[in-house]
Amino acid sequence: MAVTPDTTTEASAPPPKGPEKRWGQGGALSFGQRFLTLREGSIVIVTVVAIVYFAASTSRFATGSSFKSLLPYFAPFAIMAAGEVFVMINGEIDLSVGAVYLFTPVVFYKFTTAGLPLIPSMILALVVATLIGMLNGLAVAVIGISSFVATLGTLFTLEGLSLIISHATQVTTPGTSVTSVGTFAQIFGGGTYSELIWAAVIAIILQVVLSFTRFGVYTVAVGGNRLGASEAGINTKLVLTRNFMMCALLAGFVGILEAVRANTITPDPSVTGDILFQAISAAVIGGTLLTGGSGTVIGAFIGAIFLGVIRDGLNIKGVSANYFYFYLGLAVLIAMTANTYVSRVRTGSGRA
Amino acid sequence: MPDLAAPGERIVAPATSEDDVLRVEHVGKRFGATIALRDISMHLRKGEVLGLLGDNGAGKSTLIKILAGFQKQDTGSLWVKGDAYNPRSVEEARSRGIDTVFQDLALINELAVYQNLFLRREKVRSPIPFLSNAIMRRQARAALDEIGINIPSIDVPVARLSGGQRQAIAVARTISGDADIILLDEPLAAMGAKEGAMILDLIARLKDEGNVSIIMILHNYVHVLAACDRVNLIQDGFIGLDKPTAETSVEELTEIVVEEYRRARLEAQAEAQAQAGNGAASPPTASAPAASSAPPPESPAPGAS
Repeated sequence: MAVTPDTTTEASAPPPKGPEKRWGQGGALSFGQRFLTLREGSIVIVTVVAIVYFAASTSRFATGSSFKSLLPYFAPFAIMAAGEVFVMINGEIDLSVGAVYLFTPVVFYKFTTAGLPLIPSMILALVVATLIGMLNGLAVAVIGISSFVATLGTLFTLEGLSLIISHATQVTTPGTSVTSVGTFAQIFGGGTYSELIWAAVIAIILQVVLSFTRFGVYTVAVGGNRLGASEAGINTKLVLTRNFMMCALLAGFVGILEAVRANTITPDPSVTGDILFQAISAAVIGGTLLTGGSGTVIGAFIGAIFLGVIRDGLNIKGVSANYFYFYLGLAVLIAMTANTYVSRVRTGSGRA
Repeated sequence: MPDLAAPGERIVAPATSEDDVLRVEHVGKRFGATIALRDISMHLRKGEVLGLLGDNGAGKSTLIKILAGFQKQDTGSLWVKGDAYNPRSVEEARSRGIDTVFQDLALINELAVYQNLFLRREKVRSPIPFLSNAIMRRQARAALDEIGINIPSIDVPVARLSGGQRQAIAVARTISGDADIILLDEPLAAMGAKEGAMILDLIARLKDEGNVSIIMILHNYVHVLAACDRVNLIQDGFIGLDKPTAETSVEELTEIVVEEYRRARLEAQAEAQAQAGNGAASPPTASAPAASSAPPPESPAPGAS
C-alpha cells in the first residue's frame, strides 16, 4: 500500500473529497480578513491611502510629470529589494547591495576603457557582481559566518575598491551622453520608463520563481527550517549561495541602470548606506520577515512604490526632505508590527 | 580506547542473515571528545521491523542519521542489499531506497501540508519546470486518506497542526515515497494514544505487505513488543541485546535498563568516593579502573527516562 504516485489508479478512482475546509473561506468578513492577512494586504492599503492623500492635498501629484519624477525613487529599489527578498526569506541579510551598486558601474567603466564594447563590458561587470554574491554566499553557507558580518565586510571592501579603482574620480558613463540618448542608454536606464519596465519584469519573473518553482519552495524551506530542509535532502548551501548571487547580480544591474540614467559614474561611498536601507525597507514594508521563511517579491515591489510615493509627494508638497526619513521610519515600524501580527494569524502559532 | 570493565553481553561480531537488506559492521562515531557509537554491528532482514532501544544519548539517533546519509561514520562499513553503502547525502540514501523520519520531523512550518509531503519530490510540468500544485494536492490528499490521517486541510501551513498531525505527515511523507528501507526516529513521540495506534497499524500493514524493512526507535516497550519482530538495544555505544521480540518481554527489557541505572549509580558513587579519598594527591592505581569503567560522557544522569 506504499502510496507510490500511480497515475493510472489515480485516473480511474478519483480520491474521495475529504472535508477540505479552506482556512478563512466563506463570507465577506473572512474575505476582509483574508485580504488583510495577505502579506501584501496592509501595504497595499497604506500605499493607496498615501496616494489618495497626496492627490487630494496637492493638484500636482496625480499628474504625468509627477509620475515620471517618482520613478527613480522607486524602480531601482524595487529591483534591489526583489533580490534582497530571496536572501531575507533564507533568514539572512545582504548588507553589501549598496556597495555592489557602487562598485559594478566602476568595473563596467574599466572594461570599456580596456577596449571592450558596451554590452560585453556590462555583462562582465554583472559577472563580477555575481561572483561577489557568490563569495558572500560561500562565506555564509560554507564557512558559517553570519551574513550580517560577512556582507558588512564585503560592503567596506567594495567601497574601498571602488575608490581605489576609480581614483575617486567621477566619469561619464560609457554609452551615454548629455545631448542624446542612444539605444543602449534607452534600454539600460536612460529611457524614461526603462527602469520601470525592468523593475516590473524582474519582479514578475522572480515572484513566479518564488511561488511556482522548486527553487522558490526550497528558498522558503531553507529560511523556515534550515536543519529540516537539509534533512529532507535540500542542498541548503547551494540555495543560500544562489540567492546571494542573485541579490548581488540585481544590485549590480541597478548600479549600471542608475549610472546610465545619471550619465555619470560617481564613486561616492556615502550613498551606499541609504540605497541599502531603502532596498531593505521596501522588502520589510512589503511583508518580508527578517526571521526567514516568509516574504514576497510583489510585496517588496509595492513597498518600493510606497517609498517613491512618500518621497515624491513630500517633494511636491514642498515639505523638507528631512520628513522623508521620519515617515520612512514610521512606515517600517508600522509595517513590521502589522507583518508580525499577520504572520501569527497565518501560521496560527504563538510565534511570529 | 581501553576496554570497559562493565559486565553484560556485547554483540560486536556482525550477526548476519541470508536475506539482509542492510548491514552495519563495526561502526563507530565520535563528536570531539564524546563517543556516540563505539562498535555497532547490526543487520536488518527483508520485511523485518527492527526496534532500536537505548537510553537517552545512547547513540540511537546518531546511528539513524548515519544510515540516513545525514552524517558519516568515523569507522566501520555499511552494506545495502549486498553492496557497499557510503551515502554522502540524504538524497543519495534515498536513491538507494532508504528514507527517514527524523526526530525533529524535518517539516517546514511555513509550507503547506502538501508542499511538505512533496518536499524534494515535487511534481513539475514540462518543458518549463513549474510546480504541478494541482497534482500534488490531489496525490497528497489521496495519500493521507489512504493512511487514514485526519488533516483538515492540505493547504494550511503545517505550523497550524498539532504535534501528532505533524508527526503523521512526516511519517506519511516517508512511507509514500518509493523507499524500501524506512528509518523512523521516535515516530510516536508527540502522539496521543489514538494517533499512535494509527501509526502502529500503518506499520503493521506495511509489514504484512512485506515490501519494506523498517528500523524504528521507540521508548515504549509495549509498542516495541507489539510492532517489532526483533529488538536491538544500544548500551555504551555497543549493541547490548539482539533478540526476537517473541523471546523477550517488557519485564526483561525493563530489567536491563534498571540494571544499567544501578550500575551507573554504583560507578558514580565509586568515582565520587575515589575522588573524596584521594583529594589533590596523585591518584592511586585503584581509581583508574573505576574511572575507565564510568559510562561514556553522553550518558545522562539516572532518572532521565
